[in-house]
Amino acid sequence: MQIIKYTALSLLLALTTSAFAQTNINPSRKQAIDSLALEKVKDLSKYISIIGSKDTQFSEAKRVMDRAEELFAEDSEMGVSSLESEEISYFKVRDYFERLMALNYDKVKIQWYDIHYVSDLEQQPDGTYVGVITIYQRFEGTSKDGSLSYKDTTKKDITIYVKKKETQIAGRIIEFWDVLLGDIKVTETTA
Amino acid sequence: MRILLAFILGICTMQSSVGQGRLTDDMRETQEQLNASTKQINQFFRRFNGEEDKNGKRYYETDKQYHSTNLRNQYMPVLFDTQTGQIDRKLAEKFISTITDKKSPVFLDFHQDDWLAEVNTTFTYKGKKVPGTLYMRLQQQGQGYEWIIDNVSFDVFSSKFDKDTTESKKFLHPMSHELEFMTLRKAFADNQHNEQFTGKDFETDYLSIFLYEMNMGNLKFVTVKNVSFHFFSVEGYYFSLANFNRSGYNSGWLISSLVALANEDEKQQMKNYLYGKN
Repeated sequence: MQIIKYTALSLLLALTTSAFAQTNINPSRKQAIDSLALEKVKDLSKYISIIGSKDTQFSEAKRVMDRAEELFAEDSEMGVSSLESEEISYFKVRDYFERLMALNYDKVKIQWYDIHYVSDLEQQPDGTYVGVITIYQRFEGTSKDGSLSYKDTTKKDITIYVKKKETQIAGRIIEFWDVLLGDIKVTETTA
Repeated sequence: MRILLAFILGICTMQSSVGQGRLTDDMRETQEQLNASTKQINQFFRRFNGEEDKNGKRYYETDKQYHSTNLRNQYMPVLFDTQTGQIDRKLAEKFISTITDKKSPVFLDFHQDDWLAEVNTTFTYKGKKVPGTLYMRLQQQGQGYEWIIDNVSFDVFSSKFDKDTTESKKFLHPMSHELEFMTLRKAFADNQHNEQFTGKDFETDYLSIFLYEMNMGNLKFVTVKNVSFHFFSVEGYYFSLANFNRSGYNSGWLISSLVALANEDEKQQMKNYLYGKN
């Protein structure tokens, strides 16, 4: 279903734009790309909630981690900072998910604020466009006996890479814009 | 084809924001504060320029409100840090009236403006943790742009350079050439400050030292501690941006200092100060 959804959204990006190659991203195309990027971010947030939940079976969590990893460009990292420390800890995306799954709480509740900020897309030297989507997550972890209780709100600044690709449909070359997630900066907030 | 398009559009409209609804009361309050927060530098640019509405909806050039003076006048006061008392209120008002002047308004330009990032970092130098600052600028490259390291400031390097310019400083006497510079042996022996033997216009190139030590493997990156931004985009002013990670409605990337610059000399002095050259 996910593949169908992304393909459909990608094709919309192809269908709503000219068949000819264009370097610039005009506002309507930008909005369509934003929709596809937000769809991927929304899926990531859903996957994080499933991976973090203590109700999720180990095998299911592993499967969801695989799906979540597919959203990312190769070598993507999470840089995590907390209020206690000035320094940022860096994790591979898979390691971050595994740490989230292994947290020592009996109950974990992950919620997402109804906020997203999507930056402009900037072209990098190789022609790929890059942008950042900011979202906020609320985490609550508790142990059965109440000895362990923690909650925080984290800001997640998520890199998105937007690249023009080609596919062949019924003998015709169709160009479309593909979106992949990249490095994520996770910042603990005072909220 | 129409059916396919309708299907695709249907899927698109299904997508909404990331949040899943059912927020608790305290989360609702926090959400309002987070909405007010200037979440990215990109959002600071948009708010400064009047390119988004109060709910964060983007304005494009074709929108009537795009770059609206009224909108900017509403936004600008909340783009200053109002809690630490570092900003002179009268200077801020003058600044706002300069940038929103109806005849010649000033807008920020991500690519063209004179601005830089100050990145405070931790490295290890020969195994020991050391702090250091990287000064970064945007540069046009290939099909787009990239951030480049414009300069660096590391105490571990600058403490090694303290040029003595007094008459009693060490020197190579003016007849050394007749001795085929055998005087060098004594000059360099047990000397921690060989910069004494350089010309009057010598300036230490810390960026080259940084790159050399990195490439030799002596200096290794550990982490970024914090970032701030410095702008010389508005004639007659310097301002900096810092990230205020705090609760309330005055948070995120905000103007943390504002200084009036009378002329080019003062502008250069400010740049030298930022680059640690004073």
